[in-house]
Amino acid sequence: MGVSILIYRQGHRPEEIKGVDRMLQISHLYKNYGKFQAVKNLSLHIPQGDLFGFVGPNGAGKTTTIRMVCGLMLPTAGEISINGVDALAHQKEIKKQIGYVPDFFGVYDNLKVKEYMDFYGSMYRMGSKEIERISDDLLELVNLSDKKEVFVDTLSRGMKQRLCVARALIHNPALLVLDEPNSGLDPRARVEMKELLLNLKNMGKTIVISSHILSELSEMCNSIGIMDHGNLVASGRIEDVMDSVFGNDQLVITLEEGHETAVRIANEHVGVKVTSVGEQEIKLTHTMSKQEIAKMIGIMIAQDVLVTGFHKQEGSLETLFMRVTDHEGEQKGETENAAESNH
Amino acid sequence: MQLNPIIKRDVRVQSRSMKICWGVFVYELILALVFFLVMLIIQEENKYSTSNIYSTLVLLYPILGVTQLVVLALIVPVRTASAISGEKERQTFDIMMTTSMTPFSIILGKVMTAIIQSMFFVVASMPVMALSFVIGGMSWSYLFWFFAVALLMSFFAASIGILCSSLCKRSVSAVIMAYGFYLVFFIATVLPGLFAVYISSYMTNFNVVSNNIIYTYQENFYLFLLVNPVMYLIEFFVKIMTGESLANEISSTSGMMRTAGPINLVTTGNRWMIVSTIMFVAVSFLFLWLASKRINPIKKHAGKRAEKRQ
Repeated sequence: MGVSILIYRQGHRPEEIKGVDRMLQISHLYKNYGKFQAVKNLSLHIPQGDLFGFVGPNGAGKTTTIRMVCGLMLPTAGEISINGVDALAHQKEIKKQIGYVPDFFGVYDNLKVKEYMDFYGSMYRMGSKEIERISDDLLELVNLSDKKEVFVDTLSRGMKQRLCVARALIHNPALLVLDEPNSGLDPRARVEMKELLLNLKNMGKTIVISSHILSELSEMCNSIGIMDHGNLVASGRIEDVMDSVFGNDQLVITLEEGHETAVRIANEHVGVKVTSVGEQEIKLTHTMSKQEIAKMIGIMIAQDVLVTGFHKQEGSLETLFMRVTDHEGEQKGETENAAESNH
Repeated sequence: MQLNPIIKRDVRVQSRSMKICWGVFVYELILALVFFLVMLIIQEENKYSTSNIYSTLVLLYPILGVTQLVVLALIVPVRTASAISGEKERQTFDIMMTTSMTPFSIILGKVMTAIIQSMFFVVASMPVMALSFVIGGMSWSYLFWFFAVALLMSFFAASIGILCSSLCKRSVSAVIMAYGFYLVFFIATVLPGLFAVYISSYMTNFNVVSNNIIYTYQENFYLFLLVNPVMYLIEFFVKIMTGESLANEISSTSGMMRTAGPINLVTTGNRWMIVSTIMFVAVSFLFLWLASKRINPIKKHAGKRAEKRQ
């Protein structure tokens, strides 16, 4: 199978490239529409070979950022560099480095899959033989080899989206950017798309993907960026972001009776803070060792708290997202309240 | 040299569509109807005449020619006016802009596709057009000149359409705007000439008397007609049919009243047609350039920003 050869034909395997470890570098990026700031002082970097998930509510500025990265929009201020090349000053070079998959798959009537690939290959000034060879590889990769002679507008949405990924890879870009590629896809198509992206990641492609489907992103991505109201509120490796938001130590104690006693005992321990009390559980953050936790649970049981179990709280991308964006909302609310009180 | 991929794709897609077949059918039908109508009128007028009917049949050439150019002028802007806005409506425009194609080559590809399509119509109409040569007794070289003029007018119309397409988000508004632009070229270029006629009858300020010769300048307003498609076609067909130039009548180089200024340069010999052709080509390329600037998302300041950073 020639796919892996295809992907690395021009030597984009991360370890082979010396001197450039940051595939995408964004510094102090702003985008204003009149008085409205769609993107505010966004700075991030994505290392080579990463699958980076761009998360955020509608209107957070994800698509605007992606469009600026892909050269479809001029930033108000800031710098973007891709593979060490200034994206704003060297548009021609950058276009060769980027493969872009938009959220909507536009169809040309009366065009076959093979011709669709040929058309976009020609747009990158590739020779017809080269296009044919690479198209065959890519269609095999996206599992559309048997659809070469089929008209594009007759494909299912999932197939179209996979074809779009194949199209974006025709010129072997260093960076693949996907804007909501899973929107409107059925569950099977989503799974297929996820597998395809994981394959590409394993092949060493750097991928930026924006999505609302957080569970899928958490399964695919090794790093994320969370945007809210134009700000990048968190970014980095998923584990690092989780740790920074949730902290290392979150404990959930499940119990049937003695809630008040349990809370009192927990609060008596240094470095423990009870964060929530439910009907059958209490949640707390702590800085204790495993032994100290065991001792504390032992004290609770000794004082007639009916403890049925305890475990470390694992944060999910959903809870992380909710917490980070809520926090922003609170901050904004606080700022607005402060402004109102000043008036 | 690689063929522009947009031309290749668009021509391929069009050839699979029934639209093109119906287009050629309607085009041929219009020409055939005009042809038979003209034949009928000529026959009726010469029914009781002893004069040679064939000398009148020469008129088939300008009539069929003008009919074709009018139809092309209506079709071509519609084709190009929906070219860019159509890509935007299909949401394929963004993908196109992320490829290595420059905005100008995208624009040029769209325009060339429209011209190829119009030439397809013109070539398909050759048998009907050729009838006017067979029974009208005209030189076959005129057929070539007509083809060249059709090419130029298609290019001009296509460039207007593509500019409007780049300005509008929706195809319908782009088509309406394109016809609006047409009106500007048809009417606005005539107005300065009318103004010249008006002022020459009321004012003599534009005249300079020297050595008992009155030099007039107001005729220079007719220079705007260099980019008037109607004037171009009139000049072309008058030249072909009679060998004379209508433009030559604008200026006077002898007698008491003499025309002064640059108008004299373009109204002598065949210069009007040559200059007018150059003007149409230049204006068309200007429109293409503006359209390419318009669709370029990183159109401004990118270069300057880079320079600033350095």
